[in-house]
Amino acid sequence: MKVKLEADMVLDEISKALDNIEFQEALRRASTNNQVKVAQLLTEKPELIELAKEVGSLKRRSVESLRELVEKAVESLRKIAAKPYYAETVEEARKLIGDIVGSGKRVVMAKSMAATEIGLRQYLESLNNEVWETDLGEFLIQLEGSKPMHAIAPAVHMTRERASTLVAEKLKVGIPKGGVEDIVSTVRMFLRDKIVTADVGVSGANALAADTGAIVLVENESNIRLVTSAPPTHIAIVPIDKIVPTLIEAFKVAIVQATYAGLYPPTYINIIAGPSSTADIEQIRVYGAQGPRELHVILLDNGRMKASKDPVLKEQLYCIRCGRCQFECPVWIHTANTWGGPTYGGPMGIVWTAITLDPIEAGKLAYLCLGCGRCDEACPVNINISMELRHLKMLVVQASKRG
Amino acid sequence: MLDPLQIVRVVEENMKAHGLPFPAPREALYSWAKPLKMPDRGSPMLYTGGLYQITPYIMSVVDSLSKFEDLKLISVALKASRLLSTLGLSGLVVRPRADTVSYVENILRSIVELLRKAGVNVAYGYEDDLYSGVLLYDLGLDELFKEHAVKVYKALKSREAKTIITVDPHTTHIMRSVYPKYVEGYDLEVKSYLEVLAEAGLKTEQQNGGDVVIHDPCLYARFEGVIGQPRFLLQKSGFKVLEPRRSGRMTYCCGGPIEGLAPKMAKTIAKTRLSELSEKHGVIVTLCPICYANLKSVSDDKVKVEDIALLLGGREL
Ligand code: SF4
Ligand code: SF4
Repeated sequence: MKVKLEADMVLDEISKALDNIEFQEALRRASTNNQVKVAQLLTEKPELIELAKEVGSLKRRSVESLRELVEKAVESLRKIAAKPYYAETVEEARKLIGDIVGSGKRVVMAKSMAATEIGLRQYLESLNNEVWETDLGEFLIQLEGSKPMHAIAPAVHMTRERASTLVAEKLKVGIPKGGVEDIVSTVRMFLRDKIVTADVGVSGANALAADTGAIVLVENESNIRLVTSAPPTHIAIVPIDKIVPTLIEAFKVAIVQATYAGLYPPTYINIIAGPSSTADIEQIRVYGAQGPRELHVILLDNGRMKASKDPVLKEQLYCIRCGRCQFECPVWIHTANTWGGPTYGGPMGIVWTAITLDPIEAGKLAYLCLGCGRCDEACPVNINISMELRHLKMLVVQASKRG
Repeated sequence: MLDPLQIVRVVEENMKAHGLPFPAPREALYSWAKPLKMPDRGSPMLYTGGLYQITPYIMSVVDSLSKFEDLKLISVALKASRLLSTLGLSGLVVRPRADTVSYVENILRSIVELLRKAGVNVAYGYEDDLYSGVLLYDLGLDELFKEHAVKVYKALKSREAKTIITVDPHTTHIMRSVYPKYVEGYDLEVKSYLEVLAEAGLKTEQQNGGDVVIHDPCLYARFEGVIGQPRFLLQKSGFKVLEPRRSGRMTYCCGGPIEGLAPKMAKTIAKTRLSELSEKHGVIVTLCPICYANLKSVSDDKVKVEDIALLLGGREL
């Protein structure tokens, strides 16, 4: 179950993707729609461009003082009765979560790239837990046994026809017309039962506020609301680059992320600052009112702290995972995340792969980059992605000289 | 195994052997200039950096690589080919097509004539019009690039250049925005000929050039701020400039930069762009030899791809 990357296999996948007409068509539709939608949105609401600039500079400040922010976040989380943990590696993160969950449990997951990064679903399954993804796109990926193809639209490579066949086949149900609505309601019914009976809910985070320990999560489906509130235990995996100084700033990150993903206004923004509690009886605080009794927060490092010291790679830590760079990249539009590592792909994803997995294998993939700079231009927080990718190529050459 | 290092090695070996990234004769870079009798030192100096001239050679290498549709096979082919062997280098000939060679040479001549008409008489370094090293930088061969950049800079200084006038976006970008970071004391002023012409105010007799759709090259549009100049010049020369869906700062790449590594992908990208451009009009104007080569290679006879220098110089259509 080792999460690894071999440029070799990636290449095979890319070749296949280029020949897959359905895959190409799905990507063409999705990226064109998304480009047009975001452009329209930003023309109508130029104040959101200003907000993105603000987020760009607050992320820069945050990364400069990452260590202090982590410390402060830990302190704040304790104050709100959450349980913070620092996981330096993938193995540590898995072990921590495995110990919390145990075995024989039902676990529901809200979309989290960090969970994919540590191979959490497979790990929990290996401990004899029943694990379900609840984001529709992730759920389809789970059924397909593939990997997320975009930062916020994991099943972007699937046409409705493909999704409908997949759901019918795997859930052994008849889907009447194979329309999108039928897929959605079938999955809703199937997952609803899993969510209300689950022992543990796992989520990621869009941002974590160091001043309060509050986690901010933005979404449209409402599965995050359910997953983080119905089960008695909530585990949030928060990559440390998501920590920002204040709750207001965390909120701004979420708004900008949703905007550049083309979802404005976002349907839901969740703020979670501690486990559910009540003091309605004699002012005595009791945890686990209607929501989770326990909130565990895994602060995931996995190469990020080191990257924050690297003059080039640290730029990626400003990333708010909006996926804009992917939808604008001429290469990604034909490959989706087949061009990338096991979790992240495309412009931002190659760099994330370098930070969290292997800079040299990621660097080899960077050779497919055109250096065209559309990603740089599109990025709301102004990351010089094409420069980072070129830098990775240089690392590949240097490594080869060392033998 | 995706092994970009094979390409890296080909380029490295070629550079070391004869100062060019692909096997091409050195004279290919400056032989076009002889009839124009430009002074061989002074400023402003035309510096081509060789990209236009080596494009026909790149096209023919890519052509042979394209036979291997599968990315993996390209690696195998490269391994087997003599491109990789240092010993085989001197004997290896990449034959460019004569028509593409004369096409790019016409472009360069047209540029010199346009500059002259605008009152800018340029010097030219002939044997010292060295390859800029763009590809070394793009491939991450930083050490070799730095070494080469210093050589190029010295050669230009030895010819008394103070201002250099470049002819393509890649060379403009590398000389203006990258060299200063790699070459100590770098003090050349760098201008694209399009910027020079726009400043000088192009004189033209042409009245009705017809409609053209413009394809902005990424490096001009996003990195060097050359967007208004080509439009201004085309309009002054009597052309009506049409904009594709994605243009200016959000222009869309022609796929060219990865043509050597992944020709199939490069072609797919080129096709996407070509159809977007030709939707607007059948005459596409390019500002870069790589864009020209890539768009041209996927076009049929319903569309015409033309370099801006030929349009401005009234040499085409
Ligand atoms: S610079 Fe590279 S990663 Fe960025 S959009 Fe262009 S091809 Fe994609
Ligand atoms: S790199 Fe920029 S555009 Fe890409 S996902 Fe991150 S924030 Fe969004």
